Amino acid sequence: VFDECVAHESSWDADEALTAVYTAHYTSLVRLGALLLRDNGSAEEIVQDAFVAMHGRWNRLRDPHKALAYLRTAVVNRCRSRQRHLVVVDKHLPKSLPDEPSAEHAVLRTAETDRVIEAMRTLPEKQRTVMVLRYYGDLSEAEIADTMGISRGSVKSHAARATKSLRQVLEQSA
Amino acid sequence: MNDHPNDPFDELMRRALSEEADRIDPDDGLHEIRARVRGQRKPVSRRPWAITAGAAVVGTAAAIGAFAVLNDTAKPADEPSIAGGPNTPTSASAEPSSTLPAPRVTPRPAPNTVATAPPSTSPSDTSGKTRGIEEPRLSKPKAVRIYWLGKVVGNKNGPDYRLYNTWTQVKGRPATEALRLMTMPKIANDPDYVSPWEGASVASVSYTKDLIMVDFEKLPSATLEPDMADMAAQQLVYTVQAALQQTAPVQITERGRVSSELFGVIDTSTPLSRAQALNVQAFVWIESPGNNQTVKEPLTVTGTAAATEAQVDWKATNLKTKAVVKNYTNTKEGQKFSPYAFTPKLGPGEWLIEVYLTSPADGSITDTDSKTIYLK
Repeated sequence: VFDECVAHESSWDADEALTAVYTAHYTSLVRLGALLLRDNGSAEEIVQDAFVAMHGRWNRLRDPHKALAYLRTAVVNRCRSRQRHLVVVDKHLPKSLPDEPSAEHAVLRTAETDRVIEAMRTLPEKQRTVMVLRYYGDLSEAEIADTMGISRGSVKSHAARATKSLRQVLEQSA
Repeated sequence: MNDHPNDPFDELMRRALSEEADRIDPDDGLHEIRARVRGQRKPVSRRPWAITAGAAVVGTAAAIGAFAVLNDTAKPADEPSIAGGPNTPTSASAEPSSTLPAPRVTPRPAPNTVATAPPSTSPSDTSGKTRGIEEPRLSKPKAVRIYWLGKVVGNKNGPDYRLYNTWTQVKGRPATEALRLMTMPKIANDPDYVSPWEGASVASVSYTKDLIMVDFEKLPSATLEPDMADMAAQQLVYTVQAALQQTAPVQITERGRVSSELFGVIDTSTPLSRAQALNVQAFVWIESPGNNQTVKEPLTVTGTAAATEAQVDWKATNLKTKAVVKNYTNTKEGQKFSPYAFTPKLGPGEWLIEVYLTSPADGSITDTDSKTIYLK
């Protein structure tokens, strides 16, 4: 029965598509958002916004793969604009860190992960986004370019600069 | 774009980001998303069958126990406030004693007292209508039916979830036990079944001939979209009524008090009535064997279905060899809930047994249930 559902996915209505795509990708999209924002609550909110928008345009998407690409772009764009907003706010407010994961979920990081995550924080927003999409999202250069709405050349140069600074920071902290 | 596929830097980045991502475990967001989608599309649907049996304008803040509500149900037709009842915003200023006859303000004993009180309090009490009796303990174990929510697969003209059920043997007080198990979806041992009551804790079940009273130590904290909340309320109504073998309306209280909103949307200031089976029960389910059960051949699958042409299709898939056996069987009667049984010849192994109903209009699958079993 399940196979038949998958075979008929193009005939899904918006509600069915929502449930199916939610089940398959909600968690990983929230994680993507949280890596970009370092704020789980905002990440959930942004991903939910994206799903509501996806549901509204299912008639145009009609394909779970397109739906995922749409969601990814929506999440990345919203996270980026939220981050830019946060940077502006940061300049005007006393230093406040975005939410840490709540205590009950806070499994201790390994020292290695800790160093990488801290080093990632030093990167400019675009470079950080490229690195998250590349290493967590496992996206190709072309997919990253599409998702972020920039050229492949820019992706390449952001990645190169990010790699260079990360290597430096990590060597120092090692 | 990767110049050095085996670069330790790449490895480090992948490992670290994936480890960091794994620390994030989002809460369920589907209900929130669905609620918002619904909000954009149309106003929240009314619930035609969440009818209340007799309604008085009561303030939820007023300490009105189940006994007070009970008296209202005795003469529902006379209540002038029925029409405005469920939709009237609750007002804490409603003074119980001014609108209700005197006996109603008798405070209900705390649930714990009821639970430990000897049953002798009720038989000697002649006013059986105003005092519920705590359900008696069973002398020997008994199998009770526990209802669960299962997702409807193909049927778009109706609720997203319907009621499925499993049997479990219990000791002690059957209805209290059945409800307690209903809050633990693991008991169903079937990943297709869920229970929004998870996390709630049941204190006691008592009843008169006109009302069943279920008191919770703690009600579930989940907020659900209205349709699913209604189905969850019916899950409780069906489970407790099945265990008590009676169909009186069900009054839900928390620590003896009428609670405000159940699942964020259901008004529980008045008793909940049983919905029509065709509106809430699944149209097909497997009664036996249970999920993950080991069964000796010959296997007989039994269940209940409400099938238009009395036809139930089934399919058995060997999970190792992928061999598929398909056929159909008939229920005793068409159109209404009626039993079916079939005895497939499968051979030993792990099998997925699926039963389903197909639409006479277009042949698509409308309703289904499935169990994984081990045959030996």
